[in-house]
Amino acid sequence: MSMNKHDIQHKQAFDEPLWWGLFSAGGVCFAVLLPAVILFIAVLLPLGLLPAEALSYERASSLLFSVPGFLFVGAAVCLPLFHAAHRLRHGMFDISVGNDALNKKLMYGGAALLSALALGLVVAGFFS
Amino acid sequence: MSTEQISTNVISTQSASTKHISVKRYLPDNSTETYWQEYDLPVDDSTSLLDALNHIKEQLDSTLSYRWSCRMAICGSCGVMVNGIPKLGCKTFLRDYEGDIRIEPLAHFPVQRDLVVDMEIFLEHLAAVKPYLIDDNPVKPYDPNAPETYQQTPEQLERYKQFANCINCGLCYSACPQFGLNPEFLGPAALTLAHRYNLDSRDNGKKQRMAELNRHDGVWSCTFVGFCSKVCPKHVDPAAAVNQGKVEAAKHTLIALFKG
Repeated sequence: MSMNKHDIQHKQAFDEPLWWGLFSAGGVCFAVLLPAVILFIAVLLPLGLLPAEALSYERASSLLFSVPGFLFVGAAVCLPLFHAAHRLRHGMFDISVGNDALNKKLMYGGAALLSALALGLVVAGFFS
Repeated sequence: MSTEQISTNVISTQSASTKHISVKRYLPDNSTETYWQEYDLPVDDSTSLLDALNHIKEQLDSTLSYRWSCRMAICGSCGVMVNGIPKLGCKTFLRDYEGDIRIEPLAHFPVQRDLVVDMEIFLEHLAAVKPYLIDDNPVKPYDPNAPETYQQTPEQLERYKQFANCINCGLCYSACPQFGLNPEFLGPAALTLAHRYNLDSRDNGKKQRMAELNRHDGVWSCTFVGFCSKVCPKHVDPAAAVNQGKVEAAKHTLIALFKG
Protein backbone atom coordinates (compact mmCIF):
# COMPACT_ATOMS: atom_id res chain seq x y z
CA MET A 1 0.00 0.00 0.00
CA SER A 2 2.05 2.90 -1.24
CA MET A 3 -0.01 5.98 -0.65
CA ASN A 4 1.50 9.27 -1.63
CA LYS A 5 1.28 12.37 0.52
CA HIS A 6 -1.58 13.85 -1.47
CA ASP A 7 -3.76 10.77 -1.04
CA ILE A 8 -3.14 10.71 2.68
CA GLN A 9 -3.99 14.40 3.05
CA HIS A 10 -7.11 13.81 0.97
CA LYS A 11 -8.22 10.97 3.23
CA GLN A 12 -7.82 12.84 6.52
CA ALA A 13 -10.90 12.29 8.67
CA PHE A 14 -11.50 15.84 9.83
CA ASP A 15 -15.04 15.11 11.01
CA GLU A 16 -14.30 12.00 13.05
CA PRO A 17 -12.73 13.80 16.04
CA LEU A 18 -15.92 15.89 16.32
CA TRP A 19 -18.22 12.83 16.34
CA TRP A 20 -15.91 11.03 18.72
CA GLY A 21 -15.74 14.07 21.02
CA LEU A 22 -19.55 14.34 21.11
CA PHE A 23 -19.77 10.57 21.64
CA SER A 24 -17.35 10.73 24.58
CA ALA A 25 -19.04 13.75 26.17
CA GLY A 26 -22.42 12.10 25.63
CA GLY A 27 -21.20 8.90 27.22
CA VAL A 28 -20.15 10.74 30.36
CA CYS A 29 -23.50 12.56 30.55
CA PHE A 30 -25.39 9.32 29.89
CA ALA A 31 -23.55 7.56 32.71
CA VAL A 32 -23.50 10.39 35.24
CA LEU A 33 -26.69 12.38 34.70
CA LEU A 34 -29.32 10.09 33.24
CA PRO A 35 -29.58 7.59 36.13
CA ALA A 36 -30.24 10.50 38.51
CA VAL A 37 -32.74 12.09 36.10
CA ILE A 38 -34.59 8.78 35.70
CA LEU A 39 -34.52 8.17 39.44
CA PHE A 40 -36.07 11.56 40.24
CA ILE A 41 -38.46 12.10 37.32
CA ALA A 42 -39.42 8.54 36.42
CA VAL A 43 -39.29 6.73 39.77
CA LEU A 44 -39.44 8.92 42.88
CA LEU A 45 -41.86 11.50 41.50
CA PRO A 46 -44.54 9.08 40.19
CA LEU A 47 -44.26 7.06 43.42
CA GLY A 48 -45.05 10.21 45.35
CA LEU A 49 -41.80 10.03 47.30
CA LEU A 50 -40.94 13.65 46.49
CA PRO A 51 -42.85 16.61 47.92
CA ALA A 52 -45.82 17.30 45.63
CA GLU A 53 -44.65 20.78 44.72
CA ALA A 54 -41.03 19.69 43.99
CA LEU A 55 -41.74 19.69 40.27
CA SER A 56 -45.00 21.59 40.11
CA TYR A 57 -45.75 23.22 36.76
CA GLU A 58 -44.54 26.66 37.88
CA ARG A 59 -41.39 25.32 39.51
CA ALA A 60 -40.56 22.95 36.64
CA SER A 61 -41.01 25.68 34.01
CA SER A 62 -38.91 28.19 35.89
CA LEU A 63 -36.17 25.56 36.32
CA LEU A 64 -36.25 24.42 32.71
CA PHE A 65 -36.70 27.72 30.88
CA SER A 66 -33.51 29.29 32.18
CA VAL A 67 -29.81 29.23 31.37
CA PRO A 68 -29.16 26.26 33.74
CA GLY A 69 -32.21 24.56 32.18
CA PHE A 70 -30.70 25.10 28.72
CA LEU A 71 -27.41 23.55 29.87
CA PHE A 72 -29.29 20.69 31.53
CA VAL A 73 -31.12 19.83 28.30
CA GLY A 74 -27.84 20.04 26.40
CA ALA A 75 -26.22 17.58 28.80
CA ALA A 76 -29.16 15.26 29.44
CA VAL A 77 -30.68 15.20 25.93
CA CYS A 78 -28.39 16.53 23.17
CA LEU A 79 -25.05 14.96 24.07
CA PRO A 80 -26.58 11.53 24.81
CA LEU A 81 -28.36 11.82 21.43
CA PHE A 82 -25.02 12.17 19.68
CA HIS A 83 -23.65 9.31 21.78
CA ALA A 84 -26.53 7.09 20.66
CA ALA A 85 -26.18 8.26 17.04
CA HIS A 86 -22.49 7.29 17.03
CA ARG A 87 -23.27 3.86 18.47
CA LEU A 88 -26.09 3.30 15.98
CA ARG A 89 -23.88 4.34 13.07
CA HIS A 90 -21.10 1.94 14.08
CA GLY A 91 -23.65 -0.77 14.97
CA MET A 92 -25.15 -0.51 11.48
CA PHE A 93 -21.67 -0.82 9.97
CA ASP A 94 -21.07 -3.90 12.16
CA ILE A 95 -24.18 -5.66 10.85
CA SER A 96 -23.59 -4.34 7.29
CA VAL A 97 -26.77 -2.26 7.05
CA GLY A 98 -26.76 0.63 4.56
CA ASN A 99 -23.57 2.44 3.76
CA ASP A 100 -21.51 4.41 6.22
CA ALA A 101 -21.58 7.74 4.36
CA LEU A 102 -25.39 7.76 4.32
CA ASN A 103 -25.72 6.33 7.85
CA LYS A 104 -23.50 9.12 9.12
CA LYS A 105 -25.75 11.79 7.64
CA LEU A 106 -28.90 10.08 8.91
CA MET A 107 -27.65 9.39 12.44
CA TYR A 108 -25.80 12.60 13.22
CA GLY A 109 -28.37 14.60 11.24
CA GLY A 110 -31.14 13.05 13.31
CA ALA A 111 -29.30 13.78 16.53
CA ALA A 112 -28.71 17.38 15.43
CA LEU A 113 -32.37 17.88 14.50
CA LEU A 114 -33.68 16.45 17.76
CA SER A 115 -31.11 18.51 19.68
CA ALA A 116 -32.17 21.67 17.91
CA LEU A 117 -35.80 20.86 18.69
CA ALA A 118 -35.08 20.25 22.38
CA LEU A 119 -32.95 23.38 22.79
CA GLY A 120 -35.40 25.36 20.64
CA LEU A 121 -38.25 24.43 23.00
CA VAL A 122 -36.22 25.66 25.97
CA VAL A 123 -35.43 28.94 24.21
CA ALA A 124 -39.07 29.35 23.15
CA GLY A 125 -40.22 28.72 26.72
CA PHE A 126 -37.66 31.20 28.00
CA PHE A 127 -39.03 34.01 25.86
CA SER A 128 -42.72 33.18 26.24
CA MET B 1 7.44 -44.33 18.19
CA SER B 2 10.62 -42.53 17.42
CA THR B 3 12.58 -41.24 20.40
CA GLU B 4 14.74 -39.06 18.22
CA GLN B 5 15.33 -35.71 19.90
CA ILE B 6 13.74 -32.85 18.01
CA SER B 7 13.47 -29.19 18.79
CA THR B 8 10.15 -29.58 20.56
CA ASN B 9 9.18 -32.05 23.22
CA VAL B 10 8.70 -35.52 21.90
CA ILE B 11 5.42 -36.68 23.35
CA SER B 12 6.07 -39.75 25.40
CA THR B 13 4.02 -42.85 24.65
CA GLN B 14 3.77 -43.51 28.37
CA SER B 15 1.68 -40.38 28.76
CA ALA B 16 -1.52 -40.86 30.66
CA SER B 17 -4.07 -39.74 28.12
CA THR B 18 -5.07 -39.32 24.53
CA LYS B 19 -6.69 -36.23 23.14
CA HIS B 20 -8.76 -35.73 20.08
CA ILE B 21 -8.19 -32.66 17.97
CA SER B 22 -9.83 -31.51 14.75
CA VAL B 23 -7.82 -29.49 12.27
CA LYS B 24 -9.35 -27.47 9.45
CA ARG B 25 -7.55 -28.56 6.29
CA TYR B 26 -7.22 -26.65 3.05
CA LEU B 27 -5.11 -28.16 0.30
CA PRO B 28 -5.63 -25.95 -2.76
CA ASP B 29 -3.70 -28.36 -5.01
CA ASN B 30 -6.33 -31.04 -4.44
CA SER B 31 -9.54 -29.16 -3.87
CA THR B 32 -10.90 -25.69 -3.23
CA GLU B 33 -13.00 -27.09 -0.39
CA THR B 34 -11.90 -27.05 3.23
CA TYR B 35 -12.56 -30.04 5.44
CA TRP B 36 -12.05 -31.13 9.03
CA GLN B 37 -9.56 -33.83 9.82
CA GLU B 38 -9.49 -35.66 13.14
CA TYR B 39 -6.39 -36.78 14.97
CA ASP B 40 -5.89 -38.70 18.21
CA LEU B 41 -2.73 -37.82 20.06
CA PRO B 42 -0.92 -38.98 23.17
CA VAL B 43 -0.62 -36.00 25.51
CA ASP B 44 0.84 -35.20 28.87
CA ASP B 45 0.63 -32.09 31.04
CA SER B 46 3.41 -30.36 29.17
CA THR B 47 2.02 -30.90 25.65
CA SER B 48 1.53 -27.59 23.92
CA LEU B 49 -0.62 -27.24 20.84
CA LEU B 50 2.57 -26.71 18.83
CA ASP B 51 3.96 -30.00 20.21
CA ALA B 52 0.72 -31.63 19.12
CA LEU B 53 0.96 -30.19 15.59
CA ASN B 54 4.60 -31.31 15.36
CA HIS B 55 3.54 -34.77 16.52
CA ILE B 56 0.90 -34.91 13.79
CA LYS B 57 3.37 -33.72 11.17
CA GLU B 58 6.09 -36.16 12.17
CA GLN B 59 4.13 -39.24 13.20
CA LEU B 60 0.66 -39.14 11.72
CA ASP B 61 0.29 -36.94 8.67
CA SER B 62 3.18 -35.24 6.91
CA THR B 63 0.84 -33.27 4.62
CA LEU B 64 -0.21 -30.88 7.40
CA SER B 65 1.15 -27.34 6.97
CA TYR B 66 1.54 -24.73 9.72
CA ARG B 67 4.08 -22.09 10.72
CA TRP B 68 6.31 -22.16 13.73
CA SER B 69 9.80 -21.25 14.78
CA CYS B 70 10.84 -20.33 18.29
CA ARG B 71 8.34 -22.36 20.40
CA MET B 72 8.72 -19.81 23.22
CA ALA B 73 6.22 -17.04 22.35
CA ILE B 74 8.70 -14.61 20.91
CA CYS B 75 8.69 -15.19 17.13
CA GLY B 76 4.94 -14.84 16.71
CA SER B 77 4.60 -17.33 13.86
CA CYS B 78 2.42 -20.12 15.31
CA GLY B 79 -0.85 -18.23 15.69
CA VAL B 80 -3.98 -20.32 15.05
CA MET B 81 -7.62 -20.29 16.13
CA VAL B 82 -8.28 -22.69 18.99
CA ASN B 83 -12.03 -23.24 19.42
CA GLY B 84 -12.55 -19.90 17.70
CA ILE B 85 -10.10 -17.90 19.84
CA PRO B 86 -6.79 -16.67 18.38
CA LYS B 87 -3.88 -18.26 20.28
CA LEU B 88 -0.18 -18.95 19.91
CA GLY B 89 0.29 -22.69 19.49
CA CYS B 90 3.39 -22.73 21.67
CA LYS B 91 1.66 -20.89 24.54
CA THR B 92 -1.49 -23.02 24.48
CA PHE B 93 -1.49 -26.24 26.46
CA LEU B 94 -3.82 -29.12 25.70
CA ARG B 95 -4.20 -29.82 29.43
CA ASP B 96 -6.39 -26.69 29.58
CA TYR B 97 -8.94 -28.13 27.14
CA GLU B 98 -11.65 -30.65 27.83
CA GLY B 99 -13.55 -32.22 24.98
CA ASP B 100 -13.44 -30.84 21.48
CA ILE B 101 -10.34 -28.96 20.34
CA ARG B 102 -10.88 -27.34 16.96
CA ILE B 103 -7.85 -25.81 15.24
CA GLU B 104 -8.35 -23.35 12.37
CA PRO B 105 -6.12 -20.85 10.55
CA LEU B 106 -6.12 -17.29 11.92
CA ALA B 107 -9.39 -15.54 11.13
CA HIS B 108 -9.64 -12.52 8.81
CA PHE B 109 -6.55 -13.47 6.77
CA PRO B 110 -6.59 -15.25 3.41
CA VAL B 111 -5.63 -18.92 3.91
CA GLN B 112 -2.81 -20.25 1.76
CA ARG B 113 -2.79 -23.85 2.92
CA ASP B 114 -4.05 -25.61 6.07
CA LEU B 115 -3.05 -23.37 8.99
CA VAL B 116 -0.81 -21.06 6.95
CA VAL B 117 -2.28 -17.62 6.26
CA ASP B 118 -1.18 -14.73 4.08
CA MET B 119 -0.06 -11.92 6.41
CA GLU B 120 0.76 -9.48 3.61
CA ILE B 121 -1.95 -6.93 4.42
CA PHE B 122 -0.85 -6.85 8.07
CA LEU B 123 2.74 -6.20 7.00
CA GLU B 124 1.57 -3.42 4.67
CA HIS B 125 -0.34 -1.77 7.52
CA LEU B 126 2.73 -2.07 9.74
CA ALA B 127 4.93 -0.42 7.12
CA ALA B 128 2.36 2.36 6.58
CA VAL B 129 2.75 3.71 10.14
CA LYS B 130 6.57 3.88 9.91
CA PRO B 131 7.29 1.81 13.03
CA TYR B 132 10.88 2.93 13.53
CA LEU B 133 12.66 5.91 15.03
CA ILE B 134 12.43 8.94 12.77
CA ASP B 135 14.78 11.75 13.56
CA ASP B 136 14.89 14.25 10.73
CA ASN B 137 16.12 17.10 12.90
CA PRO B 138 18.58 15.70 15.38
CA VAL B 139 19.50 18.15 18.11
CA LYS B 140 23.14 17.84 17.16
CA PRO B 141 24.39 16.98 13.69
CA TYR B 142 25.70 13.45 13.44
CA ASP B 143 29.47 13.32 13.79
CA PRO B 144 30.89 9.97 12.69
CA ASN B 145 34.08 10.60 14.68
CA ALA B 146 32.25 11.14 17.93
CA PRO B 147 28.85 9.46 17.57
CA GLU B 148 26.53 10.23 20.42
CA THR B 149 24.05 7.73 21.71
CA TYR B 150 20.51 8.74 22.45
CA GLN B 151 19.89 9.04 26.14
CA GLN B 152 16.64 8.19 27.77
CA THR B 153 15.53 8.34 31.38
CA PRO B 154 13.69 5.39 32.96
CA GLU B 155 10.57 7.60 33.00
CA GLN B 156 10.85 8.25 29.28
CA LEU B 157 11.30 4.52 28.68
CA GLU B 158 8.30 3.69 30.84
CA ARG B 159 5.96 5.79 28.67
CA TYR B 160 6.18 3.43 25.68
CA LYS B 161 7.74 0.27 27.08
CA GLN B 162 4.54 -1.74 27.39
CA PHE B 163 3.58 -1.01 23.78
CA ALA B 164 7.03 -2.13 22.61
CA ASN B 165 6.43 -5.80 23.47
CA CYS B 166 4.53 -6.59 20.26
CA ILE B 167 5.82 -9.68 18.44
CA ASN B 168 3.73 -9.13 15.27
CA CYS B 169 1.91 -12.43 15.64
CA GLY B 170 -1.32 -11.01 14.23
CA LEU B 171 -3.61 -12.53 16.90
CA CYS B 172 -5.13 -9.09 17.51
CA TYR B 173 -6.10 -8.84 13.83
CA SER B 174 -7.92 -12.14 14.06
CA ALA B 175 -9.65 -10.90 17.20
CA CYS B 176 -10.67 -7.55 15.70
CA PRO B 177 -14.20 -7.52 14.21
CA GLN B 178 -13.49 -4.19 12.52
CA PHE B 179 -10.47 -5.62 10.67
CA GLY B 180 -12.71 -8.54 9.70
CA LEU B 181 -15.23 -6.12 8.16
CA ASN B 182 -12.68 -3.81 6.57
CA PRO B 183 -9.17 -5.14 5.85
CA GLU B 184 -8.04 -1.59 5.01
CA PHE B 185 -8.35 -0.74 8.73
CA LEU B 186 -4.77 -0.28 9.94
CA GLY B 187 -5.64 -2.52 12.87
CA PRO B 188 -4.51 -3.01 16.48
CA ALA B 189 -0.81 -3.90 16.14
CA ALA B 190 0.06 -1.23 13.55
CA LEU B 191 -1.77 1.49 15.49
CA THR B 192 -0.10 0.34 18.70
CA LEU B 193 3.35 0.46 17.17
CA ALA B 194 2.62 3.92 15.77
CA HIS B 195 1.66 5.00 19.29
CA ARG B 196 4.76 3.34 20.72
CA TYR B 197 7.05 5.41 18.46
CA ASN B 198 5.00 8.57 18.96
CA LEU B 199 5.59 8.19 22.71
CA ASP B 200 9.34 7.66 22.32
CA SER B 201 11.41 10.65 23.39
CA ARG B 202 14.00 9.89 20.68
CA ASP B 203 11.46 10.07 17.89
CA ASN B 204 10.37 13.01 15.75
CA GLY B 205 8.12 11.20 13.29
CA LYS B 206 4.78 11.82 14.98
CA LYS B 207 3.58 14.27 12.34
CA GLN B 208 4.12 11.76 9.52
CA ARG B 209 2.37 9.01 11.49
CA MET B 210 -0.60 11.17 12.51
CA ALA B 211 -1.54 11.60 8.84
CA GLU B 212 -1.96 7.82 8.68
CA LEU B 213 -3.69 7.50 12.04
CA ASN B 214 -6.21 10.28 11.43
CA ARG B 215 -7.91 8.52 8.52
CA HIS B 216 -11.21 6.65 8.56
CA ASP B 217 -9.15 3.50 8.16
CA GLY B 218 -6.80 4.68 10.91
CA VAL B 219 -7.78 5.02 14.57
CA TRP B 220 -11.36 6.00 13.68
CA SER B 221 -12.36 2.52 12.52
CA CYS B 222 -11.80 1.17 16.03
CA THR B 223 -14.99 0.73 18.09
CA PHE B 224 -13.14 -0.25 21.28
CA VAL B 225 -14.31 -3.86 21.35
CA GLY B 226 -11.16 -4.65 23.34
CA PHE B 227 -10.79 -8.30 22.28
CA CYS B 228 -7.36 -7.44 20.81
CA SER B 229 -6.07 -6.75 24.32
CA LYS B 230 -7.61 -9.97 25.65
CA VAL B 231 -5.90 -12.22 23.09
CA CYS B 232 -2.51 -10.46 23.03
CA PRO B 233 0.04 -13.07 24.21
CA LYS B 234 2.44 -10.32 25.31
CA HIS B 235 -0.12 -8.20 27.24
CA VAL B 236 0.55 -5.18 25.07
CA ASP B 237 -3.01 -3.76 25.42
CA PRO B 238 -3.54 -2.53 21.85
CA ALA B 239 -7.06 -1.29 22.70
CA ALA B 240 -5.57 1.26 25.12
CA ALA B 241 -2.97 2.35 22.57
CA VAL B 242 -5.54 2.80 19.79
CA ASN B 243 -7.83 4.84 22.01
CA GLN B 244 -4.98 7.01 23.24
CA GLY B 245 -4.27 7.37 19.52
CA LYS B 246 -7.80 8.74 19.07
CA VAL B 247 -7.06 11.48 21.60
CA GLU B 248 -3.82 12.26 19.76
CA ALA B 249 -5.60 12.28 16.39
CA ALA B 250 -8.27 14.63 17.77
CA LYS B 251 -5.55 16.98 19.09
CA HIS B 252 -3.75 16.74 15.74
CA THR B 253 -6.95 17.73 13.93
CA LEU B 254 -7.66 20.68 16.25
CA ILE B 255 -4.11 21.98 15.82
CA ALA B 256 -4.37 21.53 12.04
CA LEU B 257 -7.65 23.51 12.05
CA PHE B 258 -6.13 26.44 13.92
CA LYS B 259 -2.99 26.45 11.81
CA GLY B 260 -5.15 26.29 8.68
